[in-house]
Amino acid sequence: MQQQEPGGKQVIGLFTRLRPHAGEPAAAGNARREMIAMVVVVATLFAAMEVVSRFVPDYIMPSPLVVLKSLLESLRTEQSHIWITLARLAAAVAFSMVVGILLGLIMGTYAGIRPYLRSLIIIDTGIPALSWMLIAVFWFKNPEARIFFILTLILVPFYALNVYDGMRALSRDLVDMIESFRPSRVQVLRYLVGPHIVPYVFLTTRSVIGYAIRMAIFAELVASAVGIGSRMSLAQSTFHIDQVLAWTIFLVVFNLVVQGAVALLERKLLKWRPEASVR
Amino acid sequence: MSAAQASPLIALANVSKRFGGQLAVDRLSFEVRHGEIVALLGKTGAGKSTVMNMLMGTIACDEGGVRVAGVDPFREFRALKGKLAVSFQTDRLLPWRSALDNAALGLQILGRPRAEARRIAREWLARVKLEGAEDKYVHELSGGMRQRVSLARALAVDPEIVLLDESFSQLDHVTSQTLRRDFSQVVRQVGKTCVFVTHRIDDALEMADRILVLAAPARLAIEEHISAEQRQDAAFLAQVHARIARAMGGEEAG
Repeated sequence: MQQQEPGGKQVIGLFTRLRPHAGEPAAAGNARREMIAMVVVVATLFAAMEVVSRFVPDYIMPSPLVVLKSLLESLRTEQSHIWITLARLAAAVAFSMVVGILLGLIMGTYAGIRPYLRSLIIIDTGIPALSWMLIAVFWFKNPEARIFFILTLILVPFYALNVYDGMRALSRDLVDMIESFRPSRVQVLRYLVGPHIVPYVFLTTRSVIGYAIRMAIFAELVASAVGIGSRMSLAQSTFHIDQVLAWTIFLVVFNLVVQGAVALLERKLLKWRPEASVR
Repeated sequence: MSAAQASPLIALANVSKRFGGQLAVDRLSFEVRHGEIVALLGKTGAGKSTVMNMLMGTIACDEGGVRVAGVDPFREFRALKGKLAVSFQTDRLLPWRSALDNAALGLQILGRPRAEARRIAREWLARVKLEGAEDKYVHELSGGMRQRVSLARALAVDPEIVLLDESFSQLDHVTSQTLRRDFSQVVRQVGKTCVFVTHRIDDALEMADRILVLAAPARLAIEEHISAEQRQDAAFLAQVHARIARAMGGEEAG
């Protein structure tokens, strides 16, 4: 059923119509609303912490002010641990991205190898992260090798499977079009496949970044004596919940900053993509 | 006329093709010479696309022989690099490229430096009347503009042969007519050889020097020649139209 609203807006039955070229003002409005919601939620959480802290001992829930002081102190004195964690994360995500993209491309290109690689990756996704952490402790003496191994094995499958899905979604029409110019295989990768999979790489990065941070902290807690995870473990063993909460706040903010940076880069690199909005 | 120009640029000799048990092309023979614009006209299912795919080199014939620019397009697929360009039924533009970069794609595949490819592409976009739209992305272009970019992309590589696979059939009548006129004018100006597939008699009458009417399974039903003078003669065109319509089975497909 179609009807015309007084403002000229067309409504189709219960569902609204997708407007592929009219997303920019709506996107700006959405971003503002999301920012306001975030501020409201954070303020409410801090208020709740403050209220609870007045009724329970400090080792259960310290006041937000104590936590913030602890955070500033950690940022001042524990910078080396922060940089170590960030370096580990950056190295693992970058390496996983490269290896995952290569595996995805191989799966999408070589039908003979595809089932074997796919089976291997699917088996990997079924292995709990904790198993890899414990195995890494047995297999590697060097803590850096342990953490790199753990993060890589956890992150590579996400990139590989998403890039492979991206290749499967490649339009046959576009392949035929580029083939009509008789390109080399490298040219097909450069001009068609590469740009086509970029949105899939961004999607994967945005999806895994929070998970990668959590896993890096967990891996440091199990397999290393330096890094934010090890500091959190130390804070827990010395009953400093304010430090645990301070590191937690830092990690949440860091995740938001990285997500924002990736989204910004995505908007810049994928400006060719029309934003769709639902009205 | 040189000997090379006198010899056919495209030659099909007794070509047959089956898909499963179904005969798609039945002992089809025709030749296309340098600078000719030839229409392959037929109803849906007449085998036009199969013939086009054989010319592109994406499928091989079962019997007979296909030669395009002196080579077998299927077995010597890469030998036609830069000699053959195709414009398809849909524009098939790369959405992450601007109109200019889409038009430059074929040139970049031929190994031209990006700046040079873009310069040539810009000239071709101007020839297909797209000045000012160079930096627009695909979603910012209308259907007609997209098809113009697709034609510019095909012509920019300066191919000996241009193949058009129902390139105007997805457009509305007015846009299609304008684009046909502009395209045939440009192709005649630069002296390209062109084979185009269509199911519309009007497309063929307006653009082609020669019309090959195919009846299913792709066998040659009739062949019509139209000179530049005859193209202006409405009575002559009406007669040709009637003959073609009869050969196609009385009514125009599509």
